[in-house]
Amino acid sequence: MMASRKSSSWTNGAIAVLRKDLQLELRNKSVLGMLLIFVLNTMFLILVTAGRGDLEPRTEAALLWIVILFTAALGLGRAFLSEKEQKTGLFLRIHAQATMVYAGKLCYSFLTILCANAVSACIFLLLLGVEVALPSLFILTLLLGTLGLAGATTLLAAIIARTTRSGILLPVLLFPLLVPLLLAAVESTYFSFVGQSFTEGGWAASSGSLLIITSFSGVVITASVLLFDYVWQD
Amino acid sequence: MPCKYKTIRLAIIVWMTLVLLGAFSFGGVWLNIPKLAMLEHTARNLYFHVPMWFTMMALTALSAIHAIQCLRTNNPVSDIRSRIAALIAVIFGILGLTTGSVWAHYTWYEGTNIWWNFDPKQSMAAVQVLIYCAYFALRSALDDPRKRARISAVYNIFAFVTVPFLLYVLPRQLESLHPGAEGNPAFSEITDPIMRVIFYPAVLGFIGVGWLLYTQRVRLARAVMTLQNIEEDEHLQTKT
Repeated sequence: MMASRKSSSWTNGAIAVLRKDLQLELRNKSVLGMLLIFVLNTMFLILVTAGRGDLEPRTEAALLWIVILFTAALGLGRAFLSEKEQKTGLFLRIHAQATMVYAGKLCYSFLTILCANAVSACIFLLLLGVEVALPSLFILTLLLGTLGLAGATTLLAAIIARTTRSGILLPVLLFPLLVPLLLAAVESTYFSFVGQSFTEGGWAASSGSLLIITSFSGVVITASVLLFDYVWQD
Repeated sequence: MPCKYKTIRLAIIVWMTLVLLGAFSFGGVWLNIPKLAMLEHTARNLYFHVPMWFTMMALTALSAIHAIQCLRTNNPVSDIRSRIAALIAVIFGILGLTTGSVWAHYTWYEGTNIWWNFDPKQSMAAVQVLIYCAYFALRSALDDPRKRARISAVYNIFAFVTVPFLLYVLPRQLESLHPGAEGNPAFSEITDPIMRVIFYPAVLGFIGVGWLLYTQRVRLARAVMTLQNIEEDEHLQTKT
């Protein structure tokens, strides 16, 4: 009885943190708007420089994930900086356990970056005229990749909120760590572009990459849960 | 203690001298390595290139262990040990990259002008060096020593858990010219027994050199810390 009440209060706390962030985000739509404009800008840069229909499927997959990576670095870096700017960090520290805050922020990061990724993927496929042979594989890759991205970025966003010169630091810390995720995601996206059927070059060929993305997300989120307390507490 | 340290240091220096003599013994009766097409005498780079990577692995593990210790005990000495191990690891990583690049230029890419061809293992190793460079960038952005110790320890551990993906999972999936990659024979199948006579001592020797550099820098950093503490204490005393 005690345990169940405890776990439900933990879930409530995490949801409260998530709801607070989402409400703040929706009340002031400037960040979401800026992310959208950023994605559009980058897509048009690619379009005018690389041209339509001249790209290899692998290059297309790589470009898509690089855009996603930059959007994530721009959008998610703010997850904890906003607490610092609004001076609400202390309040959160008093009222919520560290793991609650982490879970709430992770869900918030996941949802934000999922929206941005969905938008950028749609624009990318439309503007570059890419045909997705296996849409289900493409969507699964996008979902799993977003989870890994959010998992790695949330802890690093908490880290850079504690530094003094945080502007350029997030990409420096984040990009080399995300290389395994990015490689596997590009591989899997490539197979979703060119795969013929379930067995021929599609799901069967990308199962290894999907496994890497899943295990990477698992490792990163587990490590973050264990380490978050040390970053969060003063 | 210092006497014991000096003995170990001397032993490592003598050991490495013997390893170097063995590695460069040409035309003797013993230790003649088999001459393979393309590889020729460059195969001797095995004694240097591979042990450098082993030393780097050992030092990154050491760095992560001291980072965990630093989070558990808040001991500033653990922070110093973690930082110095990462620093020496970066140096060995750069040496490993350089020797690998030169080796590849004269064997894999012979006749071409290629020094760097994005072999997966090479690229991933370069990324690992970049991760540790990022670690030092993070340290430079934190001013308070206690906060710096804790936050950088967190990043160190976080980086260390993702390294197995870089070095062991991905390179085995992608096409590579390194041994043990997809379709290539493993190291143990293609290495002549006579080369192992030098190779294994070389691994021990390079780890020993890494340990020497590490302990020496740690002692220096601890001395600097003690001096700074004394200065601060004197400064406080003159104030009051």
